[in-house]
Amino acid sequence: MSTQTPPRYPFAWTPPMQVPEALRHVHGSSAMEVTLPSGDVATLVTRYKDVRALFADKRLSRNIARPDCARISKDNDLFMDPEIDPDPPKHTQVRSLVTKAFTARRIEALRPYVQQVADELLDEMAAGPQPVELNEALAFPLPIKVICKLLGVPAEDRDQFRAYVDGFLSVTKLPPEEVGQCRQNLWKYLGDLIDAKREKPGDDLVSELIRVRDEEDNRLNDHELHFWCQGLLIAGYVTTASQIGTGTAVLLHHPELVRQIQEDWSLVPSTVEELLRTQIMGSSVGTMRYAVEDIPLSDGSVIKKGTSVLLSEEGANMDPEVFDNPFELDIRRQENHHMTFGAGIHYCVGAALARMELQVATESLLRRFPDIRLAAPAEELPRALGGFMEGFTEIPVEW
Amino acid sequence: MLRVTANSETCAVSSLCVYRLPGVFDQDEDGLVVVLDETPSGEFHEEVRRAARGCPTKSIRVTED
Repeated sequence: MSTQTPPRYPFAWTPPMQVPEALRHVHGSSAMEVTLPSGDVATLVTRYKDVRALFADKRLSRNIARPDCARISKDNDLFMDPEIDPDPPKHTQVRSLVTKAFTARRIEALRPYVQQVADELLDEMAAGPQPVELNEALAFPLPIKVICKLLGVPAEDRDQFRAYVDGFLSVTKLPPEEVGQCRQNLWKYLGDLIDAKREKPGDDLVSELIRVRDEEDNRLNDHELHFWCQGLLIAGYVTTASQIGTGTAVLLHHPELVRQIQEDWSLVPSTVEELLRTQIMGSSVGTMRYAVEDIPLSDGSVIKKGTSVLLSEEGANMDPEVFDNPFELDIRRQENHHMTFGAGIHYCVGAALARMELQVATESLLRRFPDIRLAAPAEELPRALGGFMEGFTEIPVEW
Repeated sequence: MLRVTANSETCAVSSLCVYRLPGVFDQDEDGLVVVLDETPSGEFHEEVRRAARGCPTKSIRVTED
């Protein structure tokens, strides 16, 4: 092994509208060592073929609460909970409780509601002064309202839980004591919500999980119930919100593509997929896994047992072996099986919901404001730093 | 002749196949894949192959003879 320090990961987004330059040089081998924000070293798997295979590989455990597993952050035990078993068979049992709320039928039944919320938010945008900051006007409130409806969380609480979630997802942004306070507050917030729902159940996913906890022996314990409700709330809006805002900013940076969509609305779904492929709103630090056996890769190298492994979704998505002109934004791309939602048994539970929300948000915005454009130079849009998410924090638009 | 089958035991409920080809794939109450038409007509063959390639858990099997 070389004595040089491996490159820092996540890779830097500079300039902000471009895919990290480092991704042009990661496909020469199946994997590379990287240095995480904590200073720990992990192995980043970069080729599509390997990433996809390893997402489905039982030799990689998702249980990263181990003393010799690399840590993402020094100040925050991101995605570590020793009381949760994230591997099969336990994981499969719990996951199946949740997936039934995310079938195509259930998601399509939600579409009119999502459209209604989007229309209301766009009405407010139209009525106020310009420029408008897109994150606060649309990108965050839309998925927050939707996940609140799905989980039965009062949407009025959003300012409160957003601050906690922001701290929960800090990598280097906040000192450890503030991270701890946010984590505690969020945990208590969900605990209070579960207590209230137990008293007065509703037609929502949290109430359903409480019912399973209370009526079906051994399927879900109290800690798991609490943990998964928290996970659904966080994953349910942070990711989609960031993708709506940042994906839209990238799209508006290409006015010729906006025109093409406005001339042919059937391009919206493939546009959404292409933005998901090219403009991942975070990095792949959330894919952290631990090798419980040696694992050979496609280039003949071997991941040794005991290695901490990240599966690079952005690396896979930019692999020239799989995608023609991977660095080009092609809104007509047909065979776009990107890795942004992962693969295998941990495939994002909320992917269909996210896709639907992204489609509604994109089409509604471009229909309502045909001349919408960025109201600041694209190169100056600030990206979030020091957190798990890396989307743009301010996206001023006008029309 | 193209024949399509699916393994509901490995299905992760991505819903991708159902969105791609609602006449060929469906989901049961839990969201697990169900094949509605095991021998779809020629116009759907390329999309069926794409659905199989895109399935996150490789739960769709296409055989051609």
